[in-house]
Amino acid sequence: MRLLVIEDDPLLLRSLAANLREENYAVDTAVNGEDGLFKATSIDYDCIILDGMLPVLDGWELLSRLRKTKSTPVLMLTARDAVPDRVCGLDNGADDYLTKPFDGEELLARIRALIRRSSGQATNLIHIGQALIDTAARSVSLRGETIPLTPREYALVEYLTRHLGSVVSRSELYEHLFDEDDDTLSNLLDVHVSNVRKKLGADFISTRRGHGYAIDPPN
Amino acid sequence: MPPVQNLLHSVRWRLQLWHALILMGVITVLCILAYRLAADDKRERIDRELTSFERAFIRQIFERSNRGSPGEKPPSSNRLRQLMQDMDAAADFPLEMRDLFDPTAVDSTYLAFWDGSGNILFQSANAPRNLTFPPAPPQDQEYSTRLQDSRRELIRNGPRGLRGVVGRDISADMAELHKLAWQISLAGALLWLLGLVGGWWLAGRVIHPINVISQTATRIAGGNVSERIDVTTADDELGRLSHVLNDTFDRLEGAIERQRQFTADASHELRTPLTVILSETSRGLKRERTAEEYQDILTTCSLAGTRMRSLVESLLILARQDGNDHPMPDPGPCDLNQILSEAIRLLQPLANERGIQLASRLEDTACAGDARALSMVAVNLISNAIHHQPHQGSVTVHLRTSFGNAILEVMDTGPGIAADHLPHIFDRFYRVDPSRQANGGHGLGLAIAKAIVTNHGGTIEVESIPGEGSTFRVTIPRT
Repeated sequence: MRLLVIEDDPLLLRSLAANLREENYAVDTAVNGEDGLFKATSIDYDCIILDGMLPVLDGWELLSRLRKTKSTPVLMLTARDAVPDRVCGLDNGADDYLTKPFDGEELLARIRALIRRSSGQATNLIHIGQALIDTAARSVSLRGETIPLTPREYALVEYLTRHLGSVVSRSELYEHLFDEDDDTLSNLLDVHVSNVRKKLGADFISTRRGHGYAIDPPN
Repeated sequence: MPPVQNLLHSVRWRLQLWHALILMGVITVLCILAYRLAADDKRERIDRELTSFERAFIRQIFERSNRGSPGEKPPSSNRLRQLMQDMDAAADFPLEMRDLFDPTAVDSTYLAFWDGSGNILFQSANAPRNLTFPPAPPQDQEYSTRLQDSRRELIRNGPRGLRGVVGRDISADMAELHKLAWQISLAGALLWLLGLVGGWWLAGRVIHPINVISQTATRIAGGNVSERIDVTTADDELGRLSHVLNDTFDRLEGAIERQRQFTADASHELRTPLTVILSETSRGLKRERTAEEYQDILTTCSLAGTRMRSLVESLLILARQDGNDHPMPDPGPCDLNQILSEAIRLLQPLANERGIQLASRLEDTACAGDARALSMVAVNLISNAIHHQPHQGSVTVHLRTSFGNAILEVMDTGPGIAADHLPHIFDRFYRVDPSRQANGGHGLGLAIAKAIVTNHGGTIEVESIPGEGSTFRVTIPRT
C-alpha cells in the first residue's frame, strides 16, 4: 500500500511518515501543495493524507484540482475544526477528515478504512480458500495458523487480495509496494512472490506471463 | 399584580403617579376656584336683590307720604314712623311686594324696621317669628350681612336712627350651589380620569422605545451580538441614544470577532506541535526501540515543545500589551542606542550564519519607555529582516532623532512585500507566505512590535518595493 503525505510542517511530516512506514506502508511525502498535486496526479496512491493549510496551493484547492483526474481516497488533516471548514473539505472531495491533534491509532484505522472502502470491501477479514487475510491486524493465516510474512510480502498479498481475480501488472505492483526512496531492483518483486508461494502454497499467486500476477477468487 | 415596590421601580408607573398627583392638585384648585366664584357671584346677586327690594319699598313709602303734598322733602322721622306703623294692606303695593303682607309666603323677601332704641316699627307679615333686633353694622360700612337659619339678611342703618333688615330664605340657592359643587366635583373627577388615561398612553409612548432598546440590549447580552437596535425614531434623545448604543455594539462585536479569530489562530498554531508530540510519543510507546530511535523521537518532541513555548511566550507578551492595566510595566529613560547595539550584537551570529551583512548607523537617542519591550521590537524587526531575505543580502539599522521623535528604520534588501499583503502585515498570525517552514516564526513578531510601539504612543509603518527590499520605520515620541 503506497501513501502520500502532504504536510508543510517538517516535524509533523517526519513523524507521520515514520509512523506510517512502521505500519509497512510505502510513504511518499510533499511539503507544499504544488509538489503534492504533482505527485498525487502522477502516481496512483492508495490513500493521500492531506493537510488543509499548505503553502503555494492550499489543501482544499489541491483537492478540487486533483478530483478532476483522480478519485484516490483522501484523508484531510485540519487544525480548524469549525463546521464550515470540515464541510468545505468534504464537499471538495475529501473522503474523511481528522482534526489536529489526533490520535495516531485513529489515523491508522481511518487510513485502513479508506483503503478498504475504495477496494469495495466491507470488512477487514478476507477469506481466500483456506487462507484468511486480516487487514486490520495485517496478518495472514492458513487453516487457522498464522503465517509469518515480512511487511513487503504482506503488502503484496494484501494488494493482490484487494484486486481479487484481476491481473495486476508488475509496474503497478512496484508503484504500490515501494515508495520513492526505495531502490527498486527489477527482480525484487519475483523474490517476494516466490517467498509468498513457499509460505501459502504454490498456487496462491498465479502468474499471467507477460501481464502480471493475480490471486484467483475461490471457486 | 406586582407589589407596589416593584411598580415604583417602573419609570412608567412613577411617571403615572406624579402625573396623577399633579393633575389632581391642579384640578382640585381649579374646582375650588370655580365654586368660590359661583358662590360669591350668587351671594352678591342676592345682596343686590335685597338692596334693590328695600330701596323699592322705601321709595313706595316715600311716594305714599308725598301723595298728599307732591314735591315735598322726604318725610320727617316721626312721619315715617307713623307711615310704617300704619302699613297693613297689600293693595297699594306692586305685585312683587304683596308677599310682604302674606304670612304664608315664607320663601319670599321680608322686611323689618326698628327705631334707634329697638322698638319695632314695621315687620312684614312673612318675616320669621324669631327675627330679632340686629346689631348695628360697623361704623365705616353702609350695611352688614348675617346668616340666620338659612336666611340671608342685610342690615342697614336708615335715616334718623332707623335700622332695617331685609332678608330672604336662601335654602333654594344653597341647594343650587350644592348641586353646582357636585357637578364641578364630578367634572373634575372625569377630567382627572381622562388625564390619567392620556398620561398612561403618553408615558407608554415615551417608554416604548426604551423598552425596545432594553429588549434588544438584553438579547445582545444573551449572546446574539450581531443584533442591532432598530433606529426608526427621529433624531431625538432616544434616537441618538440608539445610535450611540449601536456604535458601541459594533465596536463590541468587532472586538469579540477579533478575539475569536485570535483564539482560533492561536489554538491552530498550538495544534500542530501538539499533534507532533502526541504522534511521536504514541509511535515510541508502540514497541521496544533502540536508543537512537528513542533519541530521535525525544528530539522531535523537544523541538515541538520549544515551538509551543515560543508561541505561548509570544501570546503572553501580546496579552500583556493588550491589557490596559500596565501597558508599560517599567517606563523609564531608555537609551535606544544601547538597546539597538545590544540587539545587533545578539543577532550578529544569525546574520553571519545566513551570510547577511548587518550594518548600523546609530545616533545617540533616548526616549521614555520600557527598555525590555523596546528591545523586543528591535530584535523582532532585525531578525525578521534577516530571515526574509536570501543569502548575501544586507540589513541596515538606522536610528535618528527628528522633530522630538526617535526614529528607528530597519531596511533590508529582500524580495519585498507585495502591495496586497502590506495592509495586513501587522495583523496577528498573518503570514505573507503561509508556509510555516519559511522561517521559524509563528506570525506574531510584527504584531507584538506594533502592540509595543502603540503602547509607547508611537507608530510603526512599512514601505516596500517588490524586488528591492522593505523598510520598517518605528517612530516613538522622546518624552
